[in-house]
Amino acid sequence: MTIPAALSLGIAPIPSLPALTIVWITLPFALGFLGYLMPRRDRYFAFGMAWFSVAYALLLFVQPAPLELRLLDHFGVSLLLDPLTGFFILTNGLVTAAVLGYCWQSNKTPFFYAQTLMLHGSVNAAFACSDLMSLYVALEVLGVAAFLLIAYPRSDRAIWVALRYLFVSNVVMLFYLVGTALVYQANHSFDFVGLRTAPPEAIALVLLGLLVKAGIFISGLWLPLTHSESETPVSALMSGVVVKASVLPLVRCALLFETAEPIVRLFGVATALFGVFYAVFEKDTKRMLAFHTISQLGFVLAAPIVAGFYALTHGLVKSALFLIAGNLPSRSFKALKSQAIWTPLWVALAIASFSISGFPLLSGFGAKVLTMKNLEAWQVIGMNLAALGTATSFAKFIFLPHGLPHPSRLALAGQPGEVILPSLSRGFWVAMAILLGGLVVANGVYYEAYTWANVAKPLVTIALGWGVYQWVLPRLSLKRPQVLEQFEHLMGMMVVMLVALFWMVLA
Amino acid sequence: MPVLEVRILEAFVFATVLFGFLGILVKKNLLMKIIAMDVMSTGVIAYYVLVAARQGVFTPILSDTPKGEYPKGEYADPVPQAVILTAIVIGFSIQALMLVGAMKLARENPTLETSEIEKGNMP
Repeated sequence: MTIPAALSLGIAPIPSLPALTIVWITLPFALGFLGYLMPRRDRYFAFGMAWFSVAYALLLFVQPAPLELRLLDHFGVSLLLDPLTGFFILTNGLVTAAVLGYCWQSNKTPFFYAQTLMLHGSVNAAFACSDLMSLYVALEVLGVAAFLLIAYPRSDRAIWVALRYLFVSNVVMLFYLVGTALVYQANHSFDFVGLRTAPPEAIALVLLGLLVKAGIFISGLWLPLTHSESETPVSALMSGVVVKASVLPLVRCALLFETAEPIVRLFGVATALFGVFYAVFEKDTKRMLAFHTISQLGFVLAAPIVAGFYALTHGLVKSALFLIAGNLPSRSFKALKSQAIWTPLWVALAIASFSISGFPLLSGFGAKVLTMKNLEAWQVIGMNLAALGTATSFAKFIFLPHGLPHPSRLALAGQPGEVILPSLSRGFWVAMAILLGGLVVANGVYYEAYTWANVAKPLVTIALGWGVYQWVLPRLSLKRPQVLEQFEHLMGMMVVMLVALFWMVLA
Repeated sequence: MPVLEVRILEAFVFATVLFGFLGILVKKNLLMKIIAMDVMSTGVIAYYVLVAARQGVFTPILSDTPKGEYPKGEYADPVPQAVILTAIVIGFSIQALMLVGAMKLARENPTLETSEIEKGNMP
């Protein structure tokens, strides 16, 4: 892998890293509880913890060898911390910091910050652990924390969306547990490596658990509603990091053994196309972003070896987009087209959209080049189509009219203030600085991408995508039924996926 | 345990898991769905206990019984039993959370039918 190689500067191993790792894993939970006792400090605890994760992730990049920790015997918790994990932890740290910055001036209760810390900690734990049982615990804690965050507004809809999420995630984790028992039976250990010698039904069950939790392909249809109906900061957290907690184990599985690799790659392509198909025709901003998350997770899985960089880029850009979309005057593209939005807001939106489309000078470009370079021959057409779809769907954001003065000035001038924007506080711009700044800085990491051929390709893709947006899309009207997103169908889809996975593993 | 007994028990355990899952699919009422999920999770827990007891059912505790009283290797495996405790606790807390959620939803949707709740809460 090129990126970690460029970063490791031959620094001697850090002797206290194991101890630091334990502190880093347990601290968010301790701080979360402490936040209740000291409610005035809660924001500072959470913000500090996020930056601690960022610093820890950077430490992993300069570490010469991956850190493997085995607590207790081969039954106990095992942790694996390598540069791949580092990318995911970095994403978690930056996104959490940005979201906390966004919420800084809002009147969120200590409960919210405590749950954010728990979420942060469980995502970190899910990234770090390399045995099936610890992963189960991390993912379940994650589910509970996410439930509480989604249900935070306490409206009926919020509770239903949260309940549905928890239900899907808990049921699928039960399947996962059966798979874990089978793996244990075959190996007398819960380690990921045990999947290699496990029976095919065990692999199918474990993969099912991870695929559904990560929101991949048809089993990921719980995701659009959950991500689009949550509050703005929670959506940003969910799309930015929460789904990635089960993507990293999938990537690990693909890297560890050969049976899973083609399956993961195939799901990568299928998901990328599936998500983007929905995203292109979506008329609601937040739902479009949610479908797009499904598609981008496909990009992450399509080339497991370079998954880390793509996940980082996607995490930063998607949480930025969700934070911006939450501050647009409307959720419907049709309404947005008829009224101008405040120019600085549009600039932020355009930067994020350009990055996700793969425009040079932003890290989305490097990530796309890297992923495309590591594809198998049979994946190339599908992934290029998905990239084209990405450009088309984000043209919807880029071509929005802009040029409106700031809403407060509009009110002062006595103009008809039909556009009511929520006040864009300083926190919003802090979040943008962290996320978009991260995109620009991360772009420098993989500077080898800048060759003429590499630069030309995304430009052509974006031009084609815009062409489709301008001339083809208005002529197409497609009614996509929402039926598959209904609760019962989500459950039924699990069975379909399980059978499909079983045959794929056997094949 | 003899192989046949293990097989029969295994069949019953998987039947529990399956019926629990079927209940989630078939039952219309949210509360029934939550209970069906609990049935399913009971099945999974039972499966762990079965996996643990495959080699034998004796408690692996050092005691002063004379050597040779328990045939070698007929001890239950403590590891699956230990880890499933975690899963039981997690399952229990999730169950509690869901029931609280269902309670809140019952105020507006007294029948608690998921299709009805969904109708009001889909965009």
